[in-house]
Amino acid sequence: MPGENNQIPILSQQLLLGLAEELKTPLQQIARRAELGAMTGKIEPLEIQSIADSALKLIDNYALGVRLSMVPEELEIEAVSVSSVLYDACQQLDKMAKNYGVELQMSIAGRFGPVAAHRQGLQAALVSLGSALIEALPATGANNQQLCLKLATHRSRYGIVAGVYSDTKKLTNDALVQARKLQAVSRQPLINVSHTSGAGVFVADAILKSMNLNLTASRHQSLYGLGTVLQPNHQMQLV
Amino acid sequence: MAQVLLVEPDRYLANVYLEALENAGHKVNVANTAQAAIRLADIAHPDVIILELQLVEHSGVEFLYEFRSYVDWQDIPVIAHTIVPPAEFNRSKKLLADELGVRLYLYKPHTTLVRLLSGINQVSLVKR
Repeated sequence: MPGENNQIPILSQQLLLGLAEELKTPLQQIARRAELGAMTGKIEPLEIQSIADSALKLIDNYALGVRLSMVPEELEIEAVSVSSVLYDACQQLDKMAKNYGVELQMSIAGRFGPVAAHRQGLQAALVSLGSALIEALPATGANNQQLCLKLATHRSRYGIVAGVYSDTKKLTNDALVQARKLQAVSRQPLINVSHTSGAGVFVADAILKSMNLNLTASRHQSLYGLGTVLQPNHQMQLV
Repeated sequence: MAQVLLVEPDRYLANVYLEALENAGHKVNVANTAQAAIRLADIAHPDVIILELQLVEHSGVEFLYEFRSYVDWQDIPVIAHTIVPPAEFNRSKKLLADELGVRLYLYKPHTTLVRLLSGINQVSLVKR
């Protein structure tokens, strides 16, 4: 269908622009950290490495989102353990969180059977979301308090929800709808949440969309966040 | 040596700039948001403000309108040290310079620490 074909480059261009803006931050961090190291003689190679690694992950996740959108045949849905995906995502975000002084937590309380999903895609979406929020949280003004980000899963009446949560009340569906509208025209579509292009959120959005999933605002206990609803894989449960 | 108020939303970069500026002998206070910057300005009485224009909720421009509305703060020089590229900035450059007292514009991705430090000296000297 012509409409569908037209959507691919537009989606890619929007994401690419956001990604280009987003990548300026880690590149600046590396450049300025290296310059400071040269000035003071205090080089922090592991810190620089972890910044570069986070940037590389964002590029990989973007590429995966575009590939899944353009070649849906690559999308292999399998039985996936949400807990293990959250655990792996947490591991990937750990160093970035430390650089930003954000405490990462995991909540996988409760027993959930496998869900039907594309494992790599789901993990990439959670990592992209997580990195966007790790960067954004300290910029919301909580300068001296300990900032926490929780990767969590819980059961809802719609299915099993997996997402990334914090105590900021600004992660609402209205903010998300507004941000999607502004994505193509604004440098800062998530103005109440992030000081950057928020590319990680849109990369996650695109990856989830390509898997026929939705990124939505959700609550986990008293926390607010963004996540997706996954359907249990009943076939696997029978086995 | 100057009393610097650094308004920088990225915590990692803020820490790097803080260390560089303190090493150069400046006293630095860091704010992540426009609201925090107003509060800190009241406490710290800065000689120079280094301001990112792209902040969460209230932009750097909103901060400047609020900041300049106080009589005591009308002459404090401001350096716009921002991720907003020059091409997008050009339209509002005159407004920021003439009405809001932005003395220097530095495009953050292309600005080294050395250039930032010389920028602080530059606007501090102009003030004196």
